[in-house]
Amino acid sequence: MTTTDPAGTTVDEPRRRLHPLSPVLHGAKSIAVIVAALSWQTLSQVGVERFALVVLVVAVGVVVFSIVGWLTTGYQVVGRELRISDGVVWRRNRAIPLERLQTVELRRPLLAQLTGLAELRLEVIGGGKTEAPLAYLTVREATALRERLLALAGRTQSEAEPATEGPAAPALERPLVRVSNRDLVVSQLLTPQAFFLPLGVAFVVLQFVLEGSWTFVGIASTVTAMAGVLLQPVRRVLQDWDFRLARDPEGRLAVRYGLLETRNQVVPLNRVQAVGATWPLLWRGQGWLHLRLDIAGNAGEPGGDSKRSDRLLPVGDFATARGLVWEVLPGVDLAALATSPPPRRARWLNPISLRSLGVGFTPEVFVSRWGLLTREMHLVPYARLQSVRVVQGPLQRRLGLATVYADTARGRAGQAKDRDLAEAWALAAELASRARKARKPEEPLKDEAYWQKP
Amino acid sequence: MTVDALTPWPDTVEWRPVSPKLITVELIVRWSWSVIVVAGLVVGLVLQGHWLWWLGIGLVLANAIWRSFVTVRAVRAWGYAERDQDLLVRHGLLVRRLSIVPYARMQFVDVTAGPLERAFGLATVQLHTAAAASDARIPGLPPAEAARLRDRLTALGEDRAEGL
Repeated sequence: MTTTDPAGTTVDEPRRRLHPLSPVLHGAKSIAVIVAALSWQTLSQVGVERFALVVLVVAVGVVVFSIVGWLTTGYQVVGRELRISDGVVWRRNRAIPLERLQTVELRRPLLAQLTGLAELRLEVIGGGKTEAPLAYLTVREATALRERLLALAGRTQSEAEPATEGPAAPALERPLVRVSNRDLVVSQLLTPQAFFLPLGVAFVVLQFVLEGSWTFVGIASTVTAMAGVLLQPVRRVLQDWDFRLARDPEGRLAVRYGLLETRNQVVPLNRVQAVGATWPLLWRGQGWLHLRLDIAGNAGEPGGDSKRSDRLLPVGDFATARGLVWEVLPGVDLAALATSPPPRRARWLNPISLRSLGVGFTPEVFVSRWGLLTREMHLVPYARLQSVRVVQGPLQRRLGLATVYADTARGRAGQAKDRDLAEAWALAAELASRARKARKPEEPLKDEAYWQKP
Repeated sequence: MTVDALTPWPDTVEWRPVSPKLITVELIVRWSWSVIVVAGLVVGLVLQGHWLWWLGIGLVLANAIWRSFVTVRAVRAWGYAERDQDLLVRHGLLVRRLSIVPYARMQFVDVTAGPLERAFGLATVQLHTAAAASDARIPGLPPAEAARLRDRLTALGEDRAEGL
């Protein structure tokens, strides 16, 4: 198939298929789910042979369905678009404009790791969920495709097709951070959940000892409850295992982590909407903090916070974090962020946490901080500001205060809580003008006649 | 220097009000709901005749009258201003809000008009950015003004387009 891309060059691009093993991998998941649904109860009712037969029929059905799905799924790069068609019953053709590409992530669940395959997930702005997971490709194909997509996304329309299409040599990457697994485990032990666990166990044991009865249901429910409580820290450890961060030759961030499911995410620096730093109470003894990247399009998957790939640093000391922030937002020194507190009368609204509130301007970012026990700081580069809002509630009006929000495309807005009203207007005006100046260099070509042309 | 939550920068920004006809629309909506609720209460009164029904009717009517005054003031509180680089929208009485949205950040513009709004020759223009929180909605615009605003916003948006 021959197509012409916007640059005018003719590209020969066949429609490609996913890896032939993908239906099997997809099928394996569904079969596991179905077998679990059929459960032991069915097994005891119908006998082993019947059960095996049912499972076999279901398995064949699933695999056939997956194969049909595989046959109908294809992708191709046309110009500056990635086109994906899939669906068995409902056919779907999607064209993804690559200039809207935010990040590309390579995920390898356990089964995929065993078979040497990977899933490629594209995060596109505006998508409510991850657009176009291409599952599965070989690692090599996936890496090559990712490089290509990012290269296409990064260049302007007039530039020519890049000469090299192969994957960049990993040796050229400049490693930035490696989080030691010991620190990671310790950090997750220093969470409220882990702290309450011994208490919970002691309480339950005590109860059982006093009552003198060890019922099976009681123990089972206790174990389930414990597992539920512990799930988040354990999941965190599994997900953030062997966390590594590097700058690739093009200056993008390459993030790798995960134990059972490894993830490998490449984030162009100009896609970073905001950076958040969190100092949890229990980590203070170690002087640790957590850094978060807000990227547009890393849409909230169901399961919320833990599923999202937005870590910049799962745990680290201040020096590491300072170095990282400098890498991601050049010119921003985490140690030199001065903030000014709201006026004294704001204590009527924040009786305890007044001292922890503050906002500040640096030449590059808008800084806001809050939180007494878990201290948080939020850095929004002016160039990424979407809008500025000033909100004044009834109590604030009494006190002559107002809150200023600096909205970004993703994540929580930077907020200057309970500032003096006159100062709030000044802040809003300052934010708007700084955002305008920060955008300026990225606004080429627009002479007045540009949009009047037919 | 006096500072008012609803009119910042009075010397540099020229605020434009929304059409007063929006008051009528809002009042019709508010009163039709009240009438429905009161009708329900009257049915109850006829069937049962307890004094509590009278109380209910009284409360609903009092609420409707009170809210009508609020509506009038709330509509007068809406305002917008076009500056060189950004659109300002202010609204709200109890919680006062002002949004500053740069044209360059515009993703798309919505112009909507419900049946009642259409009957009174009004339309709502809403500017969307990539941030879900930005809230730049201007109700109660005459269709000509809505179309002008839409065209101007799109033109400026294209001109300065960057989006993210």
